[in-house]
Amino acid sequence: MTFRLVGLKVLGALATLAFVVVFNFFLFRVVDSDPVASLFRGRNLTAQQKVELRSQFGLDGTKLEQFGRYLQQTANLNFGRSYTSNEPVMKEIASRAWPTIALVGVSTLLSTVFGVLIGIAAAWKRGSATDYSATGLTMATYAMPDFWLGMLLLTTLAVSLGLFPVGGISDPSSDATGFAKLLDQAHHMFLPALTLTIAYLGEYALVMRSSLLDTMREDYLTLARAKGLRDVVVRNRHAVPNAILPVVTLIAINFGFVLSGAIAVETIFSWPGLGLLTYDALRGPDLPLLQGLFLVFSASVIFFNLVADLLYAYLDPRVRTG
Amino acid sequence: MKTARRMLAVLGAAAAVLLAVTAAAAADDSDKKVVFSVGITSTNFDTLNPIMGYSAVDFDVWNTQYGTLTNKAAKDFAPIPGLAQSWQVSNGGKTYTYTLRDGLTWSDGTPLTSKDIVFTINRSREEEWQNYSAFTQNLTARAIDDKTVAVTSSIPDPKLPGLGDVYILPEHIWGKLDAKEIVKYPGLDGVGSGPFTTLEFKRGQFVRMKANPSYWAGKRPVDEIVFRIFNNADAMVAALKKGEIDAAHNVPSEAFDGLGTTAGMVAVQGNQGGFDEIAINGGAGLQKPHPALLDRRVRVAMAHAIDRKVLLDRVWLGIGSVAQAVSPSADPAWTPTIPPDEQFDFNLVKANKILDDAGYKDTNGDGIREMPGGGEPLDFSYYVRSESEVAPPVAEFVGGWMKKIGIKITQKPTTADQLTTIIGKGTYDMFHWSWTPYVDPDPQISYFRCNQIATAADPGSYNNDANWCDPVYDALYKQQNVELDRSKRLAIVHRMLTRLHDAASYNVIALTPDLQAYRTDRFTGWLRQPALVGPVIFSNTSPTYASLAPIASSGDGGGGIGTAGIVGIVVAGLAAIGIVGWLLSRRRSADERE
Repeated sequence: MTFRLVGLKVLGALATLAFVVVFNFFLFRVVDSDPVASLFRGRNLTAQQKVELRSQFGLDGTKLEQFGRYLQQTANLNFGRSYTSNEPVMKEIASRAWPTIALVGVSTLLSTVFGVLIGIAAAWKRGSATDYSATGLTMATYAMPDFWLGMLLLTTLAVSLGLFPVGGISDPSSDATGFAKLLDQAHHMFLPALTLTIAYLGEYALVMRSSLLDTMREDYLTLARAKGLRDVVVRNRHAVPNAILPVVTLIAINFGFVLSGAIAVETIFSWPGLGLLTYDALRGPDLPLLQGLFLVFSASVIFFNLVADLLYAYLDPRVRTG
Repeated sequence: MKTARRMLAVLGAAAAVLLAVTAAAAADDSDKKVVFSVGITSTNFDTLNPIMGYSAVDFDVWNTQYGTLTNKAAKDFAPIPGLAQSWQVSNGGKTYTYTLRDGLTWSDGTPLTSKDIVFTINRSREEEWQNYSAFTQNLTARAIDDKTVAVTSSIPDPKLPGLGDVYILPEHIWGKLDAKEIVKYPGLDGVGSGPFTTLEFKRGQFVRMKANPSYWAGKRPVDEIVFRIFNNADAMVAALKKGEIDAAHNVPSEAFDGLGTTAGMVAVQGNQGGFDEIAINGGAGLQKPHPALLDRRVRVAMAHAIDRKVLLDRVWLGIGSVAQAVSPSADPAWTPTIPPDEQFDFNLVKANKILDDAGYKDTNGDGIREMPGGGEPLDFSYYVRSESEVAPPVAEFVGGWMKKIGIKITQKPTTADQLTTIIGKGTYDMFHWSWTPYVDPDPQISYFRCNQIATAADPGSYNNDANWCDPVYDALYKQQNVELDRSKRLAIVHRMLTRLHDAASYNVIALTPDLQAYRTDRFTGWLRQPALVGPVIFSNTSPTYASLAPIASSGDGGGGIGTAGIVGIVVAGLAAIGIVGWLLSRRRSADERE
């Protein structure tokens, strides 16, 4: 993999990011609105207070002046203050990022592991009961709306059986710290993580199955068998490493979407992550928060797409250029 | 076969880990503190700064953390002693001298004196604190001694001696902040004089408050109050039934009746004067509406074509009550009773006749009336807030009824934020929205004055979303603003709101209550404010929290790992055995090496 290849990929990613930064500003100003008047409807604000609030929210000046301020602040990673909380946008995002990373990250990992294993089993036992049942199961879970699945698990496991809490990230009245607190959070995370794991694993299983089926036709596998290797060795050492390339790319790309969270599942389980923060910001609309979130999500997707590009080039010499 | 065994082993191991973790967490920690949990949905805390916050749920935190000179009686909002145990009136009713209770202290041990009262009232007036200025704009406080403070109004103020909306802030903390800093201060110091003070605030998740041992009425028997945010209303109802929370606010309409018939549960329709209205552009704003809407006869006809009962039954599932006049106060006494012959009853025949007699006829047979003499069809823009659950169905019903009287409604979906701008600019004909008033009617009725309409210089600055102007209304407002006799003031306010009703520009549809529910097996001491009809929590001064006590027989907490723990440990054990067995059975022979 040459330095030129890497350089070109990185430059392309930066150009995409620059476009997103500019587009981000104008996207949320397409519609004419006055957040100060809306947020403080019915409050007896004086004219001076309104002027100060508009200045505080960065709404004073012409659009061009606002754009200039926006570019300057973005360069300093300052995305302004949230209209609703008046806290710095980066602070709001940072405080809600780790619940999303924990939930969606864990779910993505689990769904990857189980999805790949199921895909391998289905492809290697093509045409058997294992294949039919695994494919049927994964297609069913893939087609299932995640919010419906979440409500189902909530109703049965949390409400009817009482095994898990109905929402939140921890018991608010608990003074637990350290490991006990971690256990409490894991307890709260079980159902939303289970929901997302089931919802995501179908994609990995089906891609892995399809890719492995293509690989199984290759001549080098015939040679490996002819050499007397056991079936499991042929699969694990020759077939799977080549078949897993598309899945690796898929994993890298999906990690880019980890930050954007899972709005529906976070809402159902009141999981205070970035997905829910985005939903609340849309209801405002809280423009600075939406801008900051959009930028962070876009940057994450761009970064992991770059990683996927470079990783694929590293793993598969056939796709390297220059 | 081996692959299947391995898969099962991996699955079992993962399940064992997860279940063991959850089982351990499900074990009760035998903490004996008494915690009262409230579930909230469809709203959120924005800030705990009582100067700046605007979310309705913020008030319950402030009501509980900060004392006020006077409180408001749970029964009828009448002023009762708060931080002040008594008061004397002088200077023709313009000065009240309050005597504070003995031994008042803040929760951090600092004495609470008249210095704190003077700081709060005077700075809130000078700096025009958002949530205070409506109540302190005419007041000046002067400390006579540590326990005595004189509060003087520049005009006769009918709200006095009541200062139940003025949260007294600790001068030794807030006084160090200048005017710019004080409005940005998050208010998380947890220092207050109320029955509870803030312990922890996680935005979007919960507010946790602990009992204040320095509270003047004594430490409460409840150790903590937790306000929990639920983003899923069904989950909140489930949590209430399951016992994870003790009370719920903003219960969804679909679940409300069911909770009312559930054993051990009470469902409450809490009326605080909140109302929904369909507003017609009154024509006094920056832009005039469709010319037909400037004709009162057309507005009256439209008012007769809205079936309030159907809307209440079909949109609000029968929860609430139909209404005709604006409700300016949580105290229902301030709402005028419109005589039956002046009410806008649902009558399509009458509505059609009014329009026919006024000359608005359908000259071209397309089902839509035109201006008298032909010309512009009666096609009105109707803005619908898309984030509201009730606005879209109301718009559908209204559009259907208007069609039956020859008026076309063109729905325009929008957001609350955008609609605020549209109303200021006057570029609309109709919209649907709602209000929740204060206890004193002055703020609500002040919004409909002529000088509260948006101006060209600042179209976003307005309170009069009716864009309606009536000099007689304004004159009556000035009268009630300084009228100290309650019955006389009532009469003036009733006249004002009857004029607003008769103009048919602001058609009130229904009084829409807060829907709440609580368990009866954990706590006693629930107080409705006002009595019989008000909510038990998130009321004007939230007296319930100070009054709550745990029911002695209710088992809260207790040790033991619980059913979940036992199930988890058993499964974990079986899975562990399976994994060990698989590992032991796995052998690598030389034949397998390449």
